[in-house]
Amino acid sequence: MKDKNPDRKTAVEEKNAEKNSKARDPKQQQEPATPAGQAAPQELAVPAAPSGTRERRFRQTDLPARVIERRKHPRISMEQPLPPAPPCLDDYVSIIGQPELDEIRFLARRLRGKTVKMVNSTAVGGGVAEILNRLIPLMNELEVPTRWDVITGGNDFYEVTKGFHNALHGGEYNLTQQIKDIFMSYSEQTRQRMEFTEDLFIIHDPQPVGLVHSKSQERGKWIWRCHMDLSNAHQGVWDFLKPMIEQYDAAVFSAPAFACQLPIPQYLFYPSIDPLSEKNRELPEEYINKVCDDFGIDRSRPVITQISRFDRLKDPVGVIEAYKLVKKYVDCQLVLAGGGATDDPEGAVVLQEVIEAAGDDPDVIILNLPPWSALEINALQRASTVIVQKSLKEGFGLTVTEGLWKEKPVVAGAVGGIPMQIIHKLTGVLVHSVEGCAYQIRYLLTHPEFATQLGKNGKEHAKENFLITVNLKRWLVLFQILLGMAKPNATI
Amino acid sequence: MATAPQLPTTRPLWARSPFYFNSTAHLLRIGRGKANNLQELLEALRLCPDSSIFRHTFQTLEEHHFIKEGFSNDFSHWAFAACNEVELAERLAIIDVREFTSIATLRDRLVLIIEEYLQKNPRAATRTAMEPFYLMDSDLVVVPTPYVARNLEEFADGLHKISIHSIYYHFIDARLRLKLNNNDFSIWLEKELDLAQAADRINRIDIYTSTLEGVRQNILKIIEIELATPDSAGPD
Repeated sequence: MKDKNPDRKTAVEEKNAEKNSKARDPKQQQEPATPAGQAAPQELAVPAAPSGTRERRFRQTDLPARVIERRKHPRISMEQPLPPAPPCLDDYVSIIGQPELDEIRFLARRLRGKTVKMVNSTAVGGGVAEILNRLIPLMNELEVPTRWDVITGGNDFYEVTKGFHNALHGGEYNLTQQIKDIFMSYSEQTRQRMEFTEDLFIIHDPQPVGLVHSKSQERGKWIWRCHMDLSNAHQGVWDFLKPMIEQYDAAVFSAPAFACQLPIPQYLFYPSIDPLSEKNRELPEEYINKVCDDFGIDRSRPVITQISRFDRLKDPVGVIEAYKLVKKYVDCQLVLAGGGATDDPEGAVVLQEVIEAAGDDPDVIILNLPPWSALEINALQRASTVIVQKSLKEGFGLTVTEGLWKEKPVVAGAVGGIPMQIIHKLTGVLVHSVEGCAYQIRYLLTHPEFATQLGKNGKEHAKENFLITVNLKRWLVLFQILLGMAKPNATI
Repeated sequence: MATAPQLPTTRPLWARSPFYFNSTAHLLRIGRGKANNLQELLEALRLCPDSSIFRHTFQTLEEHHFIKEGFSNDFSHWAFAACNEVELAERLAIIDVREFTSIATLRDRLVLIIEEYLQKNPRAATRTAMEPFYLMDSDLVVVPTPYVARNLEEFADGLHKISIHSIYYHFIDARLRLKLNNNDFSIWLEKELDLAQAADRINRIDIYTSTLEGVRQNILKIIEIELATPDSAGPD
């Protein structure tokens, strides 16, 4: 088995190493922050190579045979490591500083003893579960007791909620009375099963939205946290859900463009990354070198990287076209790394298109990684000279955030939540075409001082807005406002 | 006739009222306003709540505190990046929020600049921007910190320790709170420790060509000079 945990140097890293070793040893494993009554994630199946994917043929180059071999057969770990224990608040001090940490503690002190319930629809997998896994331990550490409950339902319920999900993203949908009845019936069952004695309820996404019928006039504030883009929501589904959402005390969206007209206060909480997670924590240079060696990446030449699943909306073929335009002027490599080509039939088709677009160029390195490759992705991003996210459509675009956090110059499509992260030519570069993408990459590769400045600004921007600690602070402020403990805008 | 030797002016070593360092935390509220072109922005600016103007001028300065050049307020940035109206962007960028002690006067200035520009460039009014401008509001709450200063040494010590949000609160946000062209640090230094010159130099630090961390360092330099002079040194 490949070592997933590179050597650690600092005290914080040593502390994390201790936690990680506990996580790897089942006897010492701490209880993960899974929701009440839910089992920890089980072993996942080892992904198979997408069927029909043939070995690439490269044209003759002067690259060493060993590098060519790695590019044809990258060493990809097929064993899923146990997740490390979540960090504690003090672990963040080296990142955000003591004053910021003190302010979070102060905000929490006022809320001490107030109880919170988070409800979503899945305990494992998906971005929401990932966020809650990290956020809830921090809230509990701050003595704001937070419980995580997951709604359950039969296949018919999940079919309905999946249909709602697609419809709220703008898809066609035939909303019938039967569908409404199934949704409301399971909401009612969950309501009967759960207790609602907390002071604050945070209900994530549309699936559990009907729980608000348990809202009491006397106690508890209810917040609907919508992680979806509702800008093109199916009118019928929205009209069905809206009366329930209007009963909440506040709604939280990830971008102003994602929100809908509502008569309740709507807040903007940017999605966040955890700087101490496997995907974002600092890595020793030796480990980054090892990952590059495993994948046949030459660190002596510039590396352009796009991390994303093999999906046409991420425009991987457009990235290859941009790379080809850059390559005329600058000797560089392109890394396209992501997943989704194993369990998603369309992903496999897109991967094949990408391989065809890459042709026999050995400097286009295509990596179909399993879902547990967070450390490898982290290393790839850190080894990159320029990070690209040339999406044609995007949610918030957390891969952009990850690139910014790693102090890399990022070139990204001006879609979805990306313009909130990239202030053009200040924290990164926004592009609208293959040609624009190629020009900006070329410029960054030939103007390293500008690239360095963008990277620095980008990291500060991520630190100020897109870290889990910033969101923790936002929740604490919102709790105080809703509970009447803080009076906002006394100045204005 | 012999003249008596000049005695150095004695400044108080201890403040009568200590300086309590506070900080801020804010939430962004999604407003109802959205502009697809400059005419719509102008209309939104006339009608939006004060907290929206505050958000896109004062508060964005805090959020982008790390950028030294090319960013002063959201309206200017949008005019430049989304509308490609460079002249308007420049005219909006020169607005220094510290000159305004009320949101009403700041709003009037913004509206006037855009009105004048659209009179000269009427076609720019309805040209669709590459991205819409979403008017946001800001809910800002004050967060006390454990740091208190009763003399200059403690003040310098506190300045070292506070977050940049605290610098923002005392140095920039204070203008609206006090309705004065001044800041909390300068007022305290002058009133409590008779350091009028230092207070004035602090008040003249340019926030648009410096980061908030840079503001902290500049203030500390001024304080260090005062600490180095014998009559301002802290108590033994």
